[in-house]
Amino acid sequence: MDYPGLIKLLAPECLVVLTALAVLFADLKFWRGLPSAQRLGRGAALATVGLLAAALFIGLGEKSADLLVGTLVLTRVSQFLKLVLLLLTLGTVWLCSDTDFTEHIGEFLALLLLAATGMMLLISTENLLMIFVSLELVSLSLYVITAFNKRSPRSAEAALKYFLFGGMAAGFMLFGFSLLYGLSGSIHLPDIALALRTKGSDPLAMAAVVMVLAGFGFKIAAVPFHFWAPDTYEGAPAPAAAFIASGSKVASFFVLVTLLQAGMPGAAGSGAWKAFVPGWMPIVAILATASMVFGNLAALAQSSLRRLLACSAIAHAGYALLAVMAEPADAKPALLYYVVTYALTLVGMFGLVSVVEGGDGADSISQLAGLSQRSPLLAVCLSVFGLSLAGVPPLAGFFGKFYVFVAVAKSGPTLSSFWLVLVAITMSCVSLYYYLQVLKQAWVAVPVVESAPTRAGGPLVWVVSLLAFAVVLLGCVPELLLRFLR
Amino acid sequence: MTWLIPNLWLIPALPLLAAGLGALLKRPQQRLASILSVGAIGLAFLLACGAFAQTLSEHAERQVHNFAWFHFGETSLRLGWILDPLTASMLVMITFVGGLIFIYSVGYMARDPNFTRFFCFLSLFAAAMLGLVISNNLLQLFMCWELVGLASYLLIGFWYHKPSAAAAAKKAFITTRIGDIGFLLGIVWLYHETGTLLFYDHGAGCLEHGALAKLVAQTTVGGMLVSTAISLLLFCGAVGKSGQVPLHVWLPDAMEGPTPVSALIHAATMVTAGVFLVARVYPLFNAEFAISLAPSGTLPPVSTALQVVTWTGAITAVLAALIAVAQTDIKRILAYSTVSQLGYMFIGLGVGGPAVGMFHLLTHAFFKALLFLGAGSVIHGFHEEQDIRRMGGSRKFMPVTFATYAVGMLALAGFPLIFSGFWSKDEILHSALKWPASKGPFFLALMGAGLTAFYMTRQMWFVFFRPRTDFRPDSGHDAHHVHAAPDSEPHESPSIMTIPLVILAACVVLLSIFATPVWPWFDAYLAGHLSHLHVGWSGDGTLVIVMLLSVVAVAFGLGGGWALYSRVQDGEARDPVETRLPGLFGALRERLRVDEFYEATILRLSRILAVSSDWIDRFGWSACVDLIRLLTIGLAWISRYFDQSIINVGFDASCESVRGWGRLAGLLQNGQAQRYLRILAFGIVMLIVALAWMGDSAR
Repeated sequence: MDYPGLIKLLAPECLVVLTALAVLFADLKFWRGLPSAQRLGRGAALATVGLLAAALFIGLGEKSADLLVGTLVLTRVSQFLKLVLLLLTLGTVWLCSDTDFTEHIGEFLALLLLAATGMMLLISTENLLMIFVSLELVSLSLYVITAFNKRSPRSAEAALKYFLFGGMAAGFMLFGFSLLYGLSGSIHLPDIALALRTKGSDPLAMAAVVMVLAGFGFKIAAVPFHFWAPDTYEGAPAPAAAFIASGSKVASFFVLVTLLQAGMPGAAGSGAWKAFVPGWMPIVAILATASMVFGNLAALAQSSLRRLLACSAIAHAGYALLAVMAEPADAKPALLYYVVTYALTLVGMFGLVSVVEGGDGADSISQLAGLSQRSPLLAVCLSVFGLSLAGVPPLAGFFGKFYVFVAVAKSGPTLSSFWLVLVAITMSCVSLYYYLQVLKQAWVAVPVVESAPTRAGGPLVWVVSLLAFAVVLLGCVPELLLRFLR
Repeated sequence: MTWLIPNLWLIPALPLLAAGLGALLKRPQQRLASILSVGAIGLAFLLACGAFAQTLSEHAERQVHNFAWFHFGETSLRLGWILDPLTASMLVMITFVGGLIFIYSVGYMARDPNFTRFFCFLSLFAAAMLGLVISNNLLQLFMCWELVGLASYLLIGFWYHKPSAAAAAKKAFITTRIGDIGFLLGIVWLYHETGTLLFYDHGAGCLEHGALAKLVAQTTVGGMLVSTAISLLLFCGAVGKSGQVPLHVWLPDAMEGPTPVSALIHAATMVTAGVFLVARVYPLFNAEFAISLAPSGTLPPVSTALQVVTWTGAITAVLAALIAVAQTDIKRILAYSTVSQLGYMFIGLGVGGPAVGMFHLLTHAFFKALLFLGAGSVIHGFHEEQDIRRMGGSRKFMPVTFATYAVGMLALAGFPLIFSGFWSKDEILHSALKWPASKGPFFLALMGAGLTAFYMTRQMWFVFFRPRTDFRPDSGHDAHHVHAAPDSEPHESPSIMTIPLVILAACVVLLSIFATPVWPWFDAYLAGHLSHLHVGWSGDGTLVIVMLLSVVAVAFGLGGGWALYSRVQDGEARDPVETRLPGLFGALRERLRVDEFYEATILRLSRILAVSSDWIDRFGWSACVDLIRLLTIGLAWISRYFDQSIINVGFDASCESVRGWGRLAGLLQNGQAQRYLRILAFGIVMLIVALAWMGDSAR
């Protein structure tokens, strides 16, 4: 056991934890008397320093390691993904800078950073126990920050639903893990893979697969484990919702694909049309199809921007799940490109949501009316995000979908998975309708009541514009991101 | 300096950045706009000098940097930068001449309300042109090619409120586009045959031996080699861009743009892109000869593609020079002269290879930019007057402009020994004389040289020497006239305009050092054997003959022009040539009626096609559409009947059921956490059951 080496490998995570404690301490000790805007600014600045330092450590540190039989596994891709997570955390931190939903600023930022730590740990392990513990760290932190708007009963309700749902999902997942342990006698993914090779179609293994997928289905909001999403997105403070929709998803998808493809290749089965073989493939296919269909159809009927984003998040979870079924070599780049660009887009979207809502918390789509007059820059950003989510070239969302669809269509025997791509393409056509409805409000519709000029604070607008720029850039030059994910 | 090759993109990126930032400026921010543009091209010039120095030090070893733009499955689209003497010399020329023209424009456009827009476009053009020069991929080159076309369109139509300018912009764009169709077809064909569009790729590029050998080994329609066919298609693009017969018609009209634009785009740089293209893909044009698999006895003396290039150039050189003789607009004369000189460059490429053509390109860029800027200065001085018959005597008013213009004129006319134009033209003539295929181009070029001297003498006489008659005020109103419009006297231009003229004039003379037969430095530089260069007479006997002949031709042109025109005092009088050869002069003045010929043939044909397709549309297709409409209406009636009596009844029933499903969905998402959790558990159970069922049916 080499403790200095372990500390060195875990330095970024340690730094983020220390930053969380430092923010908490500084806020309680020194900044109590200040007005909340200043406390937020200072807290965000301190958190930024810590996050950047952690990013620096990742950049300079080891690129690959495997410690304690898979407890700590660093790869080039996971290290890069940590950088992405730090970036998303940074964006979320600065999203807070313009809101005033809470006076407990230190606690909020500290919990955010703890959640980030959980995500970073989550993607750097191949050990079931570590996966579970880090997932719980993420979930618990997110439950709390969902409830942070104490003035709004909806926030508390959202958090409670999120918590109850998450608790149950976690229970199932733990059950599934224990079944896996029972089948294989190991909690190390490669060992489990070896054991499942012979017992691939064991009914017990099937039950374990379904339960594990239920747990992750909750994290990524796939039908039928999605019920918490609309309520939570609606009630949570905007930065919290942004983080749930972005960072948490990126990390969960990464673990999911690792778990399924590295841990259970023997129980894959097949999701080919009319040739289902039991395993996780058909389950993922069912979840993906249901999510795409339900998410897009439900989004059509929403009048609240946040609920619309939630329903579209369900649909996007469906698209991304498709990538899980691709050949291992294609799956990770396509999936990660998709979720990373999606996460960037959603953080930007929630930034816009918090601008549009202003103080009163009303987030109906009609609030956007006349945005192009009030703030042309934000209207352009909204269009970039909306069109990217709808998958219009040359924005990042288009290439994300494109890579996923190609990866899926290529997998398995010729065109056997093509039915999934057909469903996905049909459903993306449907989705264009509701994204364009949002854009129509921003560019065409005339506001019913004369709304006040949008109060757009500095850092928030910067974050949103930078994210919009990133979405355009990654769409035009996908190679910038892809070469880190291969 | 090795970082320069991968970072060669910085050279076009700087002006591009300036264009992007310039687009965001507001109208009054003129100073900032000019500083941005001039600064960007200045930096680009420094980088270009760096690149140039590198090609000097490393014996002109060709350096490329290729990278993947994006992947489609197994294939990937790769772009790249290239640095070789050809690129480096173009880079330096474009940034240097361009920089001077930018500075000049600051003075020339000072009073234009759209000053910032102008500089934005200029920078965009410079970026595209520099990008074109450093491309190591034909597709990349084509993109930049189209971008320079766009910039040219925007700048010709810069004063878009003038209908003639708008029409000229359209004409330029469409005419060059006709050539570009051939170009694009050539690109596609080349890609189809070789599978790559990179010029040089360590042996796998389309200009390297493997690909060329493959192209030469195949024949297509009429027994033509594939390499020849592709070359000719690419040459179509060059013909369009470089204003060669029969697509030269847009270039004289392009003079509607502001004069710095004419100097930069339609004399020094963009129009030479066609020449540059042929020089760049010269191995392909020459492949038939260089890499032929045919037995040596049946080899043609020169490759077919290069013969076409040479003859096109020769015909253009003479025709345009002839037309220039009868023009009266100062810029149009220069425009036809540009067309004619571009013809020379193509002759040079065809008979002597890239070094010969490119040297004339470079010297021409300097002296023609000088002439255009001088013409701009004259036009500026004469208050936007462009007709040479109404100018005169400006030698006295504009000494600097006169002196520099004279340098440019003598260089263009090919005045011996100290002007660079003489040496570059001489090299072309010399190569043409030695050309094995035919002596025709030599005589045509010699005739063109005489004509060039002739029409430039005519222009000089009218603009600078002829005493001014029409502006001379009456003796009685002298004082009054001066008071009424003190500005109406022609005047010298401000120094921001004259200094670039002086610098360019100096370069025109200095450049002549680099290609004398005594020290043919440029030839050696382009060919890549700088180290074997010796000082000393390198020509042979024919060179002396050529020099003598060309001196005689020039002297004949200058003397003839002076003799004919120095007696003309009145601008409105009939041209002396017209009195002697009325028919020919009339035809030339009408520009050989090429425009009218196109109007009567191609445009009429296209109009007839348009009208007839409109007619087919109206009566043919619309009849079908009407028929379908009637059918549809009929069907609609039937279906309405169905609808009302059969479907509606059923629909009401199914609506009820959809509403039921909706209610069910509502019940599902009703906000009650208990129910959510129940559904979650139910979902898991159902999934397990589904798996079990699938397992059963699979077995």
